[in-house]
Amino acid sequence: MRADMPPWSQENAFQAMPSTVAASERPSRVEQEVMGLFEEFRGPLLRYSLSLGLSIHDAEEVIQEVFLALFRHLHWGRSRKNLRGWLFRVAHHLTLKQRLANHTVIQRIAGDPSVAEEHPDPAPDPEEQLSVAQRRYRLRAVFRALPENDQHCLRLRAEGLRYREIATVLGMSLGSVSTSLTRSLARLARADGR
Amino acid sequence: MLRKNPHLFMRHISDEDLVRCADGELPSQRAAELDAHLEACWDCRARMESVQSAMTSFVRAHHAELEGQLPPAAGPRAPLRARLVQLASEQPVEWWKRALQFGSSLAGVAVVGSLLIAIASGTLWLRHAGQRGLGSTTTLLDMETAPNPGLTPGATREVTISEVCSVPQEEVVRDVSVSLRQKVLHEYGIADARREDYEIDYLITPRLGGTEDIRNLWPEPYRDRVWNAQVKDALEERLHEMVCSGQLDLHTAQHDIATDWIAAYKKYFQTSKPLPLSS
Repeated sequence: MRADMPPWSQENAFQAMPSTVAASERPSRVEQEVMGLFEEFRGPLLRYSLSLGLSIHDAEEVIQEVFLALFRHLHWGRSRKNLRGWLFRVAHHLTLKQRLANHTVIQRIAGDPSVAEEHPDPAPDPEEQLSVAQRRYRLRAVFRALPENDQHCLRLRAEGLRYREIATVLGMSLGSVSTSLTRSLARLARADGR
Repeated sequence: MLRKNPHLFMRHISDEDLVRCADGELPSQRAAELDAHLEACWDCRARMESVQSAMTSFVRAHHAELEGQLPPAAGPRAPLRARLVQLASEQPVEWWKRALQFGSSLAGVAVVGSLLIAIASGTLWLRHAGQRGLGSTTTLLDMETAPNPGLTPGATREVTISEVCSVPQEEVVRDVSVSLRQKVLHEYGIADARREDYEIDYLITPRLGGTEDIRNLWPEPYRDRVWNAQVKDALEERLHEMVCSGQLDLHTAQHDIATDWIAAYKKYFQTSKPLPLSS
């Protein structure tokens, strides 16, 4: 055990590790917790970061930073309340910061209609496949035309965040989130119904 | 029969309530009222189906576009674990936990007692040692690198988080003019100081809303001391990062760096001495 390991990490050494693993390599309780949350939220966070226009390389790096920040957050004994909202908030800010640093907003997701063709859903026949692709193309066009904040709200809702969490991530009021989603869904519904 | 159903004749549901209802965001009583209305009203039910269909289509499209790009988690899992291990080894034990460990033994009590006496004596000595008004967290070694709060209390402008976080450093931090530099040096009584010895530094960095005001500028020594300009730069970067990631509010960051930047460094890096600059 390293002498500089915090006492709580000594008390909560990872029980499931093989006995051959040196004690100093055992993860602390916070490390375990962070890795558990990584398994659960890495996909949604990465998807969100990608949807904001980062390359996969940058998005992966941002998500690593998010979980390192989470480690510090938990290590310092900060609030564990609504960690999902916390993770998305940090991911949102770090992604925007990285995007700004790159000076290039990669419009790959929003702007390239071929993306859907790269990963088509299995459809029973080509006609239906075409119809699905056309519908998505229409939705994407409507989505792209929405104000940026409305796009953020929709993306976060699509990742399962509640209105209160979205409000926290984006620094908006609860009412503004509700209004934004209503406005966006009305437009998407019109495009979807055509 | 229909006339007895009050829900059929209530006003149609607003678009916003339909969306909130579909999202489970309505208070339960209001949700129950809407459910009853939806049962009775074909029009609103059709609108609800349209909203739900839009949600479904959007979420499918959103996931379909991005899912194929997501590499498996196995790749980034290992480096994250390694970085966590490294980070854990760098996190110092909080002082009170050390005190508790020591406190369990008589020797520990004696050590803690001696420390308290030393701190009390040191604080008294510091009060007589200068007029800089430093907090008890700052040692004598730090004094030369601390701004004089009477001359440099800090100055900020009205700024929003998004402004602070959306402007790159190179656009907000620039060298002060020669005349302003001279004014600052003169104010600190070192008008003849060599340029290579001091950096005219912002107490509150412009990246945190600080202004190019003489009340926010002081001569910070470059020379190789413990708490030098490079160490403060690292603190500024750390605070900016914390503010922009939502871990710290801007006002607290401004207050802490203006009050005692060395204490702020110790607080936000959880360390008693500057970390190697490469970390």
